[in-house]
Amino acid sequence: MGIVLANIIAIYRRELQSYFISPLAYAIAGVFWFISGLFFVTILFGPDGILPSVAAIDLQGQQLGVPVPLIDVPYEFIRAFLDRMGWLLLFILPILSMGLYAEERKRGTLELLATSPLTNWAVAVGKLLGVVTFLITMVAPLLIFEAIALSGSNPPMSPAIPLLGHFGLILLAAAILSLGMFISSLTDSTILSAVLTFGLVLLLLFVDLIAKSIGGPVGEALGHLSLLKHYNTFIQGIFDTSAIILFASYIFLGIFLTAQSIDALRFQRQ
Amino acid sequence: MKKITKKQPWKYLFWLGPFLFMVGFTAGLVSGSWGLLPLAFMIPGIAVIIFWVVWQSQQSRWWASRSTQAGTNAVVATLAILVILGLINFLGVRYQLRQDLTETQLFTLAPQSQELVRRLPQSVKIWVFDTNQNPQDRELLENYQRQSSKFQFEYVDPQSRPGIAEKFGVKEYGEVYLESGNKRQLVQSLNVNERLSEIKLTNRLQQLTNSTVVKAYFLQGHGEHPLTGGESGISQAVQGLTEKGYTVEPLNLADKLQVPNDAAAVVVAGAKRGLFDAEVKALQNYLNRGGNLLLMIDPDTDPKLSPLLQEWGVRLDNRLAVDVSGAGVGLGPAAPIITDYGQHPITKDFGKNISFYRLARPIEITSVAGIQSTPLLQTKAYPNSWAESDLQSEKLEFNPDKDLKGPLTLGVALTRKLPATSNPIPTPTAATTPSPLTTPTTTQNQATPTPTVTTSPATSTPTATTTSLPSPATTPATEEKSEQSPKESRLVVFGNSDFATDGVFQQQLNGDVFLNSVTWLSQQDQQPLSIRPKEPKNRRITLSTSQANVLTLSSLLVLPLLGFLTAAFIWWRRR
Repeated sequence: MGIVLANIIAIYRRELQSYFISPLAYAIAGVFWFISGLFFVTILFGPDGILPSVAAIDLQGQQLGVPVPLIDVPYEFIRAFLDRMGWLLLFILPILSMGLYAEERKRGTLELLATSPLTNWAVAVGKLLGVVTFLITMVAPLLIFEAIALSGSNPPMSPAIPLLGHFGLILLAAAILSLGMFISSLTDSTILSAVLTFGLVLLLLFVDLIAKSIGGPVGEALGHLSLLKHYNTFIQGIFDTSAIILFASYIFLGIFLTAQSIDALRFQRQ
Repeated sequence: MKKITKKQPWKYLFWLGPFLFMVGFTAGLVSGSWGLLPLAFMIPGIAVIIFWVVWQSQQSRWWASRSTQAGTNAVVATLAILVILGLINFLGVRYQLRQDLTETQLFTLAPQSQELVRRLPQSVKIWVFDTNQNPQDRELLENYQRQSSKFQFEYVDPQSRPGIAEKFGVKEYGEVYLESGNKRQLVQSLNVNERLSEIKLTNRLQQLTNSTVVKAYFLQGHGEHPLTGGESGISQAVQGLTEKGYTVEPLNLADKLQVPNDAAAVVVAGAKRGLFDAEVKALQNYLNRGGNLLLMIDPDTDPKLSPLLQEWGVRLDNRLAVDVSGAGVGLGPAAPIITDYGQHPITKDFGKNISFYRLARPIEITSVAGIQSTPLLQTKAYPNSWAESDLQSEKLEFNPDKDLKGPLTLGVALTRKLPATSNPIPTPTAATTPSPLTTPTTTQNQATPTPTVTTSPATSTPTATTTSLPSPATTPATEEKSEQSPKESRLVVFGNSDFATDGVFQQQLNGDVFLNSVTWLSQQDQQPLSIRPKEPKNRRITLSTSQANVLTLSSLLVLPLLGFLTAAFIWWRRR
């Protein structure tokens, strides 16, 4: 057990190092930061943003003397922001996961990994941990911005809901990355891997719409597969064990399938 | 290594398999039914695919190779994992733990709703006739569903399933119906401004699960319309009431001389002969102890109800209401068309819609102290309608001497507050005592009728009702309603009974006029559960200009630049 753990950590460190010396990773991070910054600023200060529109409602209420509807501004803000972030991740994550195995295949190092004494499981888990860690470092600076914005909240807001929302964000990301990792292990083309992952993610999005049109128990079961639906329960501020179980299932399934596909590779080479 | 295979054009016949399957599948999806036609395409398609697979495997003998064995292992393992994950998720949904972390519990049902749904006696289904499913509404319905498996809901597009829509009488998109057993009820109508409300839904549920039987009695014995079908029967009206949850029973006052105590309303539908004095007295007594009476009296009849009507300030005119404007739609001058309704709970949703009354008599109302009257049905103004006295002459003509100019009143709703009885001021004590004790305070009203007509101090009554808020821990809400006793008596008089008879009942708004009248009369607008609407906490974000500037600059400029510059730097160094 200890050896497996040590192996996982070794793979994890190698992966992380490869990210932090790769210009592509920084470029992706730069794009991600710019787009999320754009969302952040427009949601908060933009012409249709929350702060100006609420200020306008308040002013109107004061002038006309009508009661202003109750608005929980920080809650609405964090929900809207996390919602956009979820969508953004759907586009960014396939790019992060595309190289996980496809790159190794291209460089010819996958044979080394497949025939090494490391179990396929350990490799897959290590790689996934590495890419999730990289994603967390990408999200972390945004937390600082959010903290500054929420510190202006009056009366103050408890951190439970933003924390739960980010927890959901990480879970969502890990699930998509895990599936993307599997797809990446199937092909040696990074582009194809990214496109396929994006297609799969879109499918998992639209499964909700399909489920709604079908209805009945089948529709309900299909609807449960939807990633975004469960992510939405988290960002609304609802802690739901079934959503956690679903995300964990996706993560596990991705790792399992990756290990299987590398296994199949071993047999093919023999 | 490669074998050169001969060209076998018929091999491509395999593509028929997926093709036929897709044709059948698409046809099924489009038509929405999986009848003969889609299956006729899909089954041959699947058969071709299976045949092809078997044939191919015969050709290549792939199962003998080692990689296939490993592959089979992998497939079996994968399938097993999928099944296990599916089961885990199934259990996870079944036994889920949900915690609403929002400060005002935005996504949690009120305790009253939870309690009510948990103890539903029979299964209940909510039908939402709408094409777009608002996530908020769905969330609310799912929250209900989580409480009990007896609660179900379904979204239906009324256009694609017109049968169901017709069964419920859906008029427009967004209507929400509640169905339990054979009872169906409109909950509310959804639109952009009005989302599904927990308050309405829970209260409807409460009404539906209410075990008390609401009885409507129809007086018989004087040539009234028979309750069964047939010539001039009112079976459709009776059925309409039954669907609304009423129990309809005939009433013969001649041998009982008293209206039963459980009568929510008594209907006199078109009596042709006069009632006995004792019968009139019985009805009067009934009204005096908080009863509710619906009188539908045709012209040219005298049910001898004048003493009762006089007490309420109502006089039946002997002339015939004439409306010459209806000729265009095939209704003769003796069938007035009403499009002008009074401001009253009975007619509030009618707008300018039509109801009509073949052979109707006008009603005159004089104000009596303590009685509040609202005209329900008004005919058009004079040149179009008047009350005709001379029915023998061939020509219908307004005769200023004997005839009465329109607009005429064909229906009126009256209420009389019951005098405050031996049960003085329950409010101050009730308000302070814990809720389980407050309910029985007004029960004595029914037992002690006082015939004097005085307006009671109305202020004490409404406050009394608000005190009996059901708190979650106390008695089930359904019991509270039955202990309420009426605080006023209600009377509705129509100068016509034909509008509720079979055949005419379902035309235009005629049925609604009747059903709404009985509903209003029976005082079933029971006390709603007091559920407070979910409100978010009122909170603002106040940021200083410098803070805002720092946020904008750093998030839009500094951080992305940092990423890009590092990328460029590493790239440059690597080169």
